[in-house]
Amino acid sequence: MMLLDFSATEWQAISLSIKVSLVATLFSLPFGILAAYALARWDFYGKHLLNGLVHLPLVLPPVVTGYLLLVVFGTRGPIGGFLQDWGLVFAFRWTGAALAAAIMAFPLMVRAIRLSIEAVDPKLEHAASTLGASNTWIFITITLPLTLPGILAGTVLAFAKALGEFGATITFVSSIPGQTQTVPSAIYALLQVPGQENAALRLVLVSVVLAMGALLLSEVLARRASKRMNGA
Amino acid sequence: MHCNFDWESMPKGFIRPLIRRTALVASLHLCFFGAGLMGIKPATADPVTVFAAASLKAALDDVVLDFERTADHQILVSYAGSSALARQIEQGAPANLFISANVNWMDRLGAQGLLEPDTGLALLTNTLVLIAPTDEAAPPVGIEDFDIISQLKGRPLAMAFADAVPAGIYGKSALRHVGVWDAVAPHVAQTDSVRGALALVARGEARFGIVYATDAQADPRVSIVATFPSDSHAPIVYPVAVIAPASRGALDFAAFLRSPEAHDTFEAHGFGSAAP
Repeated sequence: MMLLDFSATEWQAISLSIKVSLVATLFSLPFGILAAYALARWDFYGKHLLNGLVHLPLVLPPVVTGYLLLVVFGTRGPIGGFLQDWGLVFAFRWTGAALAAAIMAFPLMVRAIRLSIEAVDPKLEHAASTLGASNTWIFITITLPLTLPGILAGTVLAFAKALGEFGATITFVSSIPGQTQTVPSAIYALLQVPGQENAALRLVLVSVVLAMGALLLSEVLARRASKRMNGA
Repeated sequence: MHCNFDWESMPKGFIRPLIRRTALVASLHLCFFGAGLMGIKPATADPVTVFAAASLKAALDDVVLDFERTADHQILVSYAGSSALARQIEQGAPANLFISANVNWMDRLGAQGLLEPDTGLALLTNTLVLIAPTDEAAPPVGIEDFDIISQLKGRPLAMAFADAVPAGIYGKSALRHVGVWDAVAPHVAQTDSVRGALALVARGEARFGIVYATDAQADPRVSIVATFPSDSHAPIVYPVAVIAPASRGALDFAAFLRSPEAHDTFEAHGFGSAAP
């Protein structure tokens, strides 16, 4: 199994990629659900602005997003400098890689969740409200369970996107082995040297397996969720 | 309670508008790009497509303007990393001329018979420098007298990939030569290109950076604090070659690149001449 005989650096990149993507996905999920709910159900001043902001990373070149992150969240940036005083540093840390991955994956997450919230029949929520349930209780017991397949799909899509993030990450936090050198950035480095294609190919295979695994997992979870709901 | 939520239709529901949007954006880009190509000026001969290393952009743009003033060939330049361009040429990209920032990639194309014989030569040279944000920079000194480690203070030194991108390979070799690589390595923030390293120093995020003298000259927010001696790394040479089969325009432009006029322009941007 020469193919799976990874070097220490390669393992480091693989485990870092998984860590970064997991943290990015889990931390952005509450915000993703909130943004999706706001866009699907609320009418407020500046809704189009919020919609545009959420989708911006999808349409901007990743390098531009990375540069904006560097300007805003760098140690000399307005938010980065403020957070540094509280002990939260993004610049050149794996936390910065997670932030970049989360921002890049956010639009995909919100789109999936928003569409499944819009698909929930408002009459169900209205019925619960006539029976005396509070808005929070309705959200927890009606809207959220019905939206679960969409939330799962959005979460896994965001995870897969976070795994593959390169442009914004390299621009924002560069590539430091063990801190910010993720699988895509290791692949990029290998492709710069003539004759390193085979080493790159192994990491490419790892990326494909991880992404496919995540998608299959979401399929299984979503099937289970829908079965449970339909059987209830 | 029974619910008929059709979860399977959901992913299609959000992917389809996505595809439509992507197609729209792509076709808009094509429109603008096409208009840009056609609108510049009526080319009397076939346009010459030049693939050039990204670090040449500012200088080569000026050289192209000078050339187009007298010649009736239109020059289209595609700037990117030398490795990406070389791979595209291998895959049959319609390039007529290639200027690489690295001899290895040019040699690889030559070994595959993709270059027109006897058109390859070393065109330019560059210098490797240590830079700092201008507001933190001390007057330049010799690199041997420069204590990098004690001045980092927990901040990184930015450079291109030390084992992959040419500027990074030269940088690693130069730091080895001065004897500080092992101590500096844990503090190195690697970027995908030399311009990425430049941006990190220009923003003041990195304490130091290793870039080409031409990059340092291009950004007033950084200053040179030391210059690496030319014997501390392999020679920094930009080779040029015409891609086979050679077009008239490509040969004309290759000849112009060696003219004194082009040389003056390159020199004004900080490049050295590789001509003997």
